[in-house]
Amino acid sequence: MPEKSSVDLPVRWNLSVRPDGTGKLEFEGELDAESTPVAWRSLESELAGIKVASFEIDVRQLVCDSAGLALLYYLSVGAMTPGANVNLTGLSPELQHLLRGFSTKDFQALQEHEPTCSSFIEDVGAATWSWLCDLRQQVEFIGEVTVGVMMSLFRPRLMHWKEVVRVFEVAGVNALPVVSLLTFLVGMVIAFESAQPLEQLGAQVFVANLLGLVMSRELGPVMAAIMLAGRSGSAFAAELGTMKVNEELNALQTMGLSPVQFLVVQRVVAGILLTPVLTIFAMYAGLLGGIPVLLGLGFPLRMVLHQVQSGLHFGDLAEGLSKSIVFGAIVASVSCLRGLQTGEGPRAVGESTTRSVVSSILLIILADAIIAAVTYTLRK
Amino acid sequence: MIEVRDLTIGYGDRLVLEGINFDVRRGEVFAILGVSGSGKSTLLKHMIGLYQPIRGDVVISGASIVHAEGDERLRILRKFGVLYQSGALFGSLTTVENVRLPLDEFTDLPEVAKDLIALSKLRLVGLESAATKLPADLSGGMQKRAGIARAIVMDPCLLFLDEPSAGLDPITSAGLDALIRELARGLGITFVMVTHELASIYSVADRVVVLDPKTRGIAAEGAPSWLRENANQPWVRQFLKREAA
Repeated sequence: MPEKSSVDLPVRWNLSVRPDGTGKLEFEGELDAESTPVAWRSLESELAGIKVASFEIDVRQLVCDSAGLALLYYLSVGAMTPGANVNLTGLSPELQHLLRGFSTKDFQALQEHEPTCSSFIEDVGAATWSWLCDLRQQVEFIGEVTVGVMMSLFRPRLMHWKEVVRVFEVAGVNALPVVSLLTFLVGMVIAFESAQPLEQLGAQVFVANLLGLVMSRELGPVMAAIMLAGRSGSAFAAELGTMKVNEELNALQTMGLSPVQFLVVQRVVAGILLTPVLTIFAMYAGLLGGIPVLLGLGFPLRMVLHQVQSGLHFGDLAEGLSKSIVFGAIVASVSCLRGLQTGEGPRAVGESTTRSVVSSILLIILADAIIAAVTYTLRK
Repeated sequence: MIEVRDLTIGYGDRLVLEGINFDVRRGEVFAILGVSGSGKSTLLKHMIGLYQPIRGDVVISGASIVHAEGDERLRILRKFGVLYQSGALFGSLTTVENVRLPLDEFTDLPEVAKDLIALSKLRLVGLESAATKLPADLSGGMQKRAGIARAIVMDPCLLFLDEPSAGLDPITSAGLDALIRELARGLGITFVMVTHELASIYSVADRVVVLDPKTRGIAAEGAPSWLRENANQPWVRQFLKREAA
């Protein structure tokens, strides 16, 4: 058998096989994290077609790190020479000590380990149970918040008005520019999209009426609430979630203070107060967005304002503002609940934030649908 | 092994340490001590290149980590491992996946080799049976040992430990000290550790520096048991004897 070696690496090896079935592999140089991968693959292919009864590995001239030791261990357990009696010689006592850390048993246990996979029925059951538990928590939470708000009304000393003002400013006043810009653009889009079909009916002037109704009854409150959920609800959840992870909520409880009374009621009251304000801005910004389009279509400003005025009634505004109060309460309370439900670990706060936004938007649309059905029935 | 030269560090306008100098010798366990707020962890973060100092240099095995960039910086970073206070294991990966992560990122070894190396390091720290567990299922002490396994998987010659005993019970803490001694003597790894635990310091540290928050410099340097009796400043002796001021 000819000798084989690699000349481009800091390690060289000579592989020889005698006719009596004994093989010998001699290493020289350094087996490190860079040279080991190449040596490993070369030796695997060189030894693939060779059958030996006994195999000696001589490492007297070898220096190696953990990567090299992994290769020596792999060779010494006969993984590349199945059935052979392998003998490793020349390993220093320090490396022998480290080699004893390698274990086929650990490796097999790792290979045999399969992530536990629950059945479909178990998953459905667990999801249903989790949903029911969450529903129960939500009902309990609504009760706690309602009691907290009522207590604050009868005993104003319990309410931290400074916190209400802070939340009002951060979640409300600071959100005005983005809410106004968004609804301005939405108003513009609605005006453009509705102008063409109404022109075919010869009713292009009614774009102004449509815009007034849509912005005051539907899109104003919904857009303001969705912005509140995305911008401020997520912040509520992250803030309370971080407080839970830092055990600040436990500290409140052990001081005899209710986290709901101390942290949630302020946010819910601020949410209820600020959403109608945001909604009014959203309604006006939406109308302002449609006006340039109508002016561009050739309608005078006076006519546009007259159409909006004649199409809108106090009931439409009242409906929009009533919705906004409901939406504000939903966003603030659901976001706080998700924050308080934060689990443990670095991902928990992120998960709470996501859940707060998804739950808030879902409940906003659900509440909107219910209110729309109720008001339609009442108008008939 | 490490030379800290005229190092001035701080946050913005606030100086934490000013013009400090010390050396860490190859193969020793070196501890950085000081009262809370003296800048121990900040100094460690400058030594491992996470922060840039205001002035001065940190030289590791002849190469400046302060001025190194690109591949040169990567070469220096690969010379050492770091154990963070919390263990800093990635929560979505199992223990063995956490340990083999540097092998996955920096080597071209076959999968079987990566698993064998990671498992050997876990066995070294006594965690071979927790290989498939997620970090959330490990105790604080186990997370720190897994953090050490990950820090030594690339065979670094230098290991930085930030408060290795923080939050551990005395038995687990003593076990961790024994592991540090074994790694220092068995593998010849140099250790630089920041700690408050005097028991750990007397058990494992060959030399310490004590930081002085008032002068923003080094109050004392030497073997801990020698400093306990012979340090010039009385507060250093009190600190090392754990006596109230």
